[in-house]
Amino acid sequence: MAEEFNTQGMLDMYLFENGQLLERLQEIVLEQKDEDCFDEDSINEIFRTMHTIKGSSGVMMFDEVTKISHKLEDVFFYLRESKPDNVPHLELVEHVLQVADFITGELEKLQDGESADGDATEIVAAIDAFLTAIKNGEGEQGKEIKENVHEEPQQFYIAPMATSASHFYKIYLTFHPDVQLANVHAYKTVYALKEIAEDLLHYPEDIISDESTAEEILENGFKILLQSQSTEEQLREIVQEGYELKKVDIYECSAKEFQQGFDSFGTEIRIDLESSVEEIEAKAEQAEQAESAKTPVKQPEPKKIAPGDFVIESKEPGKGKKLAKDKPKKQEKAQFISVDVHKMDMLMDLIGELVISESVVLQNPDLKVPGLKLDNFNKAAGQMTKISTDLQNVIMSMRMMPLTNTFQKMNRIVFDVSRKLGKEIEFEMIGEHTEVDKNIIEHISDPLMHLVRNAVDHGIESVEERQASGKTEKGKITLKAKTESGKVWISVQDNGKGLNRDKILAKARKQGIIDPYKPDSAYADKEVYQFITLPGFSTNEKVTEYSGRGVGMDVVVSNLASIGGTLEIESTPGQGSTMNLKIPLTLSIIDGIVMEVGKSSFVIETGSVKEFVGVREDMLYHEPSGEEFVMLRGEGYPVLRIGEWYNLKDYQANTNEGMLVLVEVEEKMICLFVDRLVGKQEIVVKPIPDYIKKVKGLSGCTQLGDGSIALILDAPGLIE
Amino acid sequence: MSEFETQRDKYVTFKSGNEYFALKIQYVNEIIVFQEITEVPESEDYIKGLINLRGKIIPVIDVRVRFKQEPIEYTDRTCIIVINVKDTVVGLIVEKIAEVVEITEENILPPPSATIGHEEKSQNKYVYGIGKVGESVKLLLDPDRLLKDEDLTVLDQISEETDMEEGE
Repeated sequence: MAEEFNTQGMLDMYLFENGQLLERLQEIVLEQKDEDCFDEDSINEIFRTMHTIKGSSGVMMFDEVTKISHKLEDVFFYLRESKPDNVPHLELVEHVLQVADFITGELEKLQDGESADGDATEIVAAIDAFLTAIKNGEGEQGKEIKENVHEEPQQFYIAPMATSASHFYKIYLTFHPDVQLANVHAYKTVYALKEIAEDLLHYPEDIISDESTAEEILENGFKILLQSQSTEEQLREIVQEGYELKKVDIYECSAKEFQQGFDSFGTEIRIDLESSVEEIEAKAEQAEQAESAKTPVKQPEPKKIAPGDFVIESKEPGKGKKLAKDKPKKQEKAQFISVDVHKMDMLMDLIGELVISESVVLQNPDLKVPGLKLDNFNKAAGQMTKISTDLQNVIMSMRMMPLTNTFQKMNRIVFDVSRKLGKEIEFEMIGEHTEVDKNIIEHISDPLMHLVRNAVDHGIESVEERQASGKTEKGKITLKAKTESGKVWISVQDNGKGLNRDKILAKARKQGIIDPYKPDSAYADKEVYQFITLPGFSTNEKVTEYSGRGVGMDVVVSNLASIGGTLEIESTPGQGSTMNLKIPLTLSIIDGIVMEVGKSSFVIETGSVKEFVGVREDMLYHEPSGEEFVMLRGEGYPVLRIGEWYNLKDYQANTNEGMLVLVEVEEKMICLFVDRLVGKQEIVVKPIPDYIKKVKGLSGCTQLGDGSIALILDAPGLIE
Repeated sequence: MSEFETQRDKYVTFKSGNEYFALKIQYVNEIIVFQEITEVPESEDYIKGLINLRGKIIPVIDVRVRFKQEPIEYTDRTCIIVINVKDTVVGLIVEKIAEVVEITEENILPPPSATIGHEEKSQNKYVYGIGKVGESVKLLLDPDRLLKDEDLTVLDQISEETDMEEGE
């Protein structure tokens, strides 16, 4: 049983980590897809990413993933070592994306509880061919490999930048022999030390991806060379003996000893490069394949490098510090933990309750006894209120996530689709760091994807067309996000041909959507464009792989509507179109106006309220049909008396005593007649239990400060 | 002993009208004192509205109204039994909680055929058996039927029809 749990935990971790790595990988690739080649950092990072994926997949025994990542690693190894300058960049980008897709696909299968049974052979073969091609195109790589042989270890060890205040330490950790995953514990220590380290070197090195090091650590101990400003005491605080750690030895040493590396640790120590054997092997392989494989310089040498050599080889000292904290991906990861959303919801509920019980305490009738001295109580109460408000804000912000990932996905789509369609498109993202509630992000990804696809497929013209109309060859798609007045605005803008008003109108007439007696000119542009969001409406004659089937825009709109968002379309013929999405920031919290009718409380979203009007009977007039209207500044608005509408008890029937709330939704107005206004409040939206049938005009319920429940009025529902 | 074992054959009983009803204890989450109810417009008459159960908003139904008995004023003896039936959490407003009793299977009889009177009948829809505890009799409630709406409307129609017939 316990073992099963273990593998599940490992699998979860594997999926989570590699998912993140792949996301990051795509990000890097897409960032530089328009350059001529990858820069050095990216090549290194892709190489490392592939290496890590290969390692962990190997442990999990996902052979195809291991194979494919190994292949790509080879390619990037070659790029890194030989720096060929004739690599067809786009082809390379596609290969990387292919691999990323393949692995992502496998991970998804695993996530759904299936086995990773994809076949990578084809992709591997394609990459092989690609690798051979770039190798053959490169004449001098042999020489360069020779140079690079020494360079590689730099990612593990960087020359110390000794400052006078630096101390050098040798740390020797002995783990309890029965400790599981000693390598992980060792890494934890290393990670903790990195915070204070100017330079850090450890042996065995490859503790993260190579699990066999665990045994080695148990057997021989774990050695760390550390350069740091900290004192030994501070170190001891970080590295403490405990459950796993049996013994911690810290010796201060000289800079010289430090540079000698692990040799000075003791006799049992081999050269520190041991753990990167894999890479050396790969390199040797590489070398064999290379034309100048017989050059003697680079064959056995890498394995004999003494630690001191690297010191000399270090190039820019400025870069050293950055690299000393190698594996930047790991650091990023450590900044996040994934939390079950249910737990978050629970936390949110609890905080909601806390706020309520707080008001119960602070407004307790016992405190109202005359003559009580409450100075100290009030002071403490104020402090508590502040903390609970902060707490609320924190939990809110925890649910907020930047749109970066979603936007990044769109980048990928633009790239894929435009390549397939042979269009050249520049993709620009603005405001991708805008934060939105997690629920919302999940809901907008699909609509956005559709809009972006449409923009690439229909919006942007082909290169020839663009040239003919005197535009730049490259089309441009801009994805923009911003927050304004409690809403998120996301726009997808293209500088393509724009929507064809006449075509849409003609189609609409054909489908009988519009009034046949109304002339075309009676429709505003906006109205016309809105037609394309109707089900089954597509002006595209031919169906492409990506769009044109007429399903889509209506799905986009209905998806958006389900989270309270709207779509607005702007377009200028010949200059492109813009799709504007207006989406609420969060689903769970709204700013509302609390009103009372009879004994019931109602809440309506502040955003939809235009004004409050105190009315007199003579401002109202009745239609013969019984409908009631109110005249405000010469305009008549329909009046809805909530009490009557819902058959409530004891509501205010006298017009002069009540209050009118003017509500506007999508340019339609309605006046709600309520007994009185209570105030404005941030409320946590909760659904009305399913057990109760849906009531028209109610969208949910919420808990007010005194613990009572208020019903949330849904303005669009009321207007209907 | 497992939870199931300890709970087997245990029933929470409550009084409504003249009868005592019993609910399998597995369905019962908790029993709370009566609290303020927020009405929901346009819902069935027996659905009294919503209560706030420590931050969770749940619907409550009045068992008396559900059984077509005369509604009574809520007092401080009025309780709400919070039950969970297939993940639907609902509060039942009952006049008075009696006790938790043990009714073994051999003491459970099938419900009487519904011919006695129409008041009995409207309850019988929700009763799947009769449990004997010593001298007294408890009507065993099927919470699923108690909450369900669909068959209610059908049954309602039937009972209304019979009502009318009887009235004539």
